[in-house]
Amino acid sequence: MRSLFDRRLLVVIGKGGVGKSTVSAALALAAARRGKRVLVCEINTKERISALLGAGPVGHRIGKLAENLEAVVVEPKEAMREYALMILKFRSIYAAVFENRFVRYFLRAIPSLSELVMLGKVYFHVKETLPDGNPRYDLVIVDSPATGHGLSFLRLPQVLLAIIPKGPMADETRKMHEMLVDEQTSAAVLVTLPEAMPVNETIELNRGLRDVVGMPRAALFLNGFLDPRLSPEEREKLAQLPPELAPAGAALLSREQRARQAEHYAQRLAVDIELPQQRLPFIFTENFGREAVEKIAALMEGA
Amino acid sequence: MSQGVLEQALTGKRIVVCVGSGGVGKTTLSAAIALKAASQGKKVVVCTIDPARRLANSLGLVELGNVEARVSPEKFAAAGLPEKGELWAMMLDLKRSWDDLIIRNAPAERRDAILNSRFYQQLSSALAGSQEYVAMEKIVELRRNRDYDLVVLDTPPTAHALDFLDAPNRVLDFFGNEKARWLLAPALKAGEVGLRMFNLTGGYFVKTLSKLTGLELLQELAEFLSTLAPMYEVFKERAAAVKALLASSECAFVLVSSANPLTVDEAAYFHTLLIQDGMPVAAVIANRVNPLPPEAGEGELDRLASAIATDPPSDAARERIAASLEELRLLAQVDRRQIARLAETCAPTPVLQVPRMESDVYDLAGLWALDGHLFG
Repeated sequence: MRSLFDRRLLVVIGKGGVGKSTVSAALALAAARRGKRVLVCEINTKERISALLGAGPVGHRIGKLAENLEAVVVEPKEAMREYALMILKFRSIYAAVFENRFVRYFLRAIPSLSELVMLGKVYFHVKETLPDGNPRYDLVIVDSPATGHGLSFLRLPQVLLAIIPKGPMADETRKMHEMLVDEQTSAAVLVTLPEAMPVNETIELNRGLRDVVGMPRAALFLNGFLDPRLSPEEREKLAQLPPELAPAGAALLSREQRARQAEHYAQRLAVDIELPQQRLPFIFTENFGREAVEKIAALMEGA
Repeated sequence: MSQGVLEQALTGKRIVVCVGSGGVGKTTLSAAIALKAASQGKKVVVCTIDPARRLANSLGLVELGNVEARVSPEKFAAAGLPEKGELWAMMLDLKRSWDDLIIRNAPAERRDAILNSRFYQQLSSALAGSQEYVAMEKIVELRRNRDYDLVVLDTPPTAHALDFLDAPNRVLDFFGNEKARWLLAPALKAGEVGLRMFNLTGGYFVKTLSKLTGLELLQELAEFLSTLAPMYEVFKERAAAVKALLASSECAFVLVSSANPLTVDEAAYFHTLLIQDGMPVAAVIANRVNPLPPEAGEGELDRLASAIATDPPSDAARERIAASLEELRLLAQVDRRQIARLAETCAPTPVLQVPRMESDVYDLAGLWALDGHLFG
């Protein structure tokens, strides 16, 4: 089977709060350990990856977080500037034109231009080469916005091409779409929790990625997975404890139920989503940081 | 005093706006708040934007559309709940709501030009803040044109707190700004739109911009914007009305969070912004909090192990039980610390806690089970 890390672009996607950033950070670490040069892109959000890896913030300039591992927060304003500069070549023109209020007002009315330039920046780094002709990064990992936003982010090239089918912007947009749907280059990585709402949303997300975006998907990570500690017989006895032990019994039962629920949803996902599924254990810690990410990365190294 | 903190904070309010990051349970709590009011004899409507139909499911409604539907009295009876008032629910259809807004407010001769423009899609779907804005518009409409005692709004899961509060400004910005209007005016007067207006600012801009976008696009965009320009005043007025209503004493914001550190950060930030903007925040709800398990000493562990596993208790069984209780304790402790932090940053706004439920809330009875935690 082809390794996850043989792609050039992995888009980590899922509902808000399921641990996309953790999975992105762990994937990045695992890939970097294998000797891949990795760039993690966070999309217009409060920076999380650097803290998860125990490093200082990088902001909108690419910064190094670990050996072979760099990160950046992609922001619309900065991405727009880079994009315009790439096309216009001259800083003075950029300043004169793009910092004009009237022009800004116009640009704002172009459908989702700010999201497009962010995707454009991702595209640029996937294609970026060093002077020797080799790619600057072997793997770009995008920690995408939460489900709804994430799917529309990936759909953007299609939406935009429907509105603007011709011209220089359309050409760039078409290239971005081609990158996203190319099996050799890209894959989405789905993340979810073994709970009802996230699972339902993930099934829809998978469908959306497949049928609407046409994007290849490579893996499904089930985050916060809890394994049962008690046998079914033991669990049954929890309900029949004497009154003084009942509160502890109820607490233990709630934990076991969570574990059972996790198993139930994992099986449901296995039926509904045709992707290799990897369970990531719930990590009990007060400070979720580098140490926790290391544990998860270790599980991914075989991925 | 028989009233709980939340009930007191919501007394006399006609609008409750539930805000917070995605995935914290806003939809469910909005429904629970509406259900409470209905059980007290009020006529209530809860308005959601949630496309996952969670609200519809939990209220036992098959379909939830852009018009309000009443939760049938039989559903209340079946769940064993008192229904003294009426509970209505609706799901905001973004596109339809925008179309309605344009149809109602655009000059007749421009209506079709706007609705048929390909750029209009941007406004109704992709423009940041567009969802939030329509939601705010909807509560103004529900409040003014219908006879509900209470309107509960479940807001869209904003990526950033600022998106919500800034929504009217962003939408207004889209319709125009003073400078654009000034530049557009001569072209409009001459009855001409399109590239002519760019000539006003010089061919230099057009040339440079068209390198990026193509000339055709710019031309069409200019036309569209000049079609919208006359609506600027209308929308400015509406946006002001929306803000005034939200800031009024008949409105209450309920900020929903989980105990997750990242969500707590976002909630604390959101709270600061709401207060800065003069918005009345009634309460903060920390949802799905892990409860503290009971203390278990050596004696209890032995008894637990022998009751459920082996008698006499094996070390292995005891260790498994101890490990589980320890995990639960850690979860609860982490949550406690986060909630203390939340309470500290949000003071004097009261912070309520709703414990993690054994299973997801999926029906009226489930919603009612939250009542004790919210209003107890």
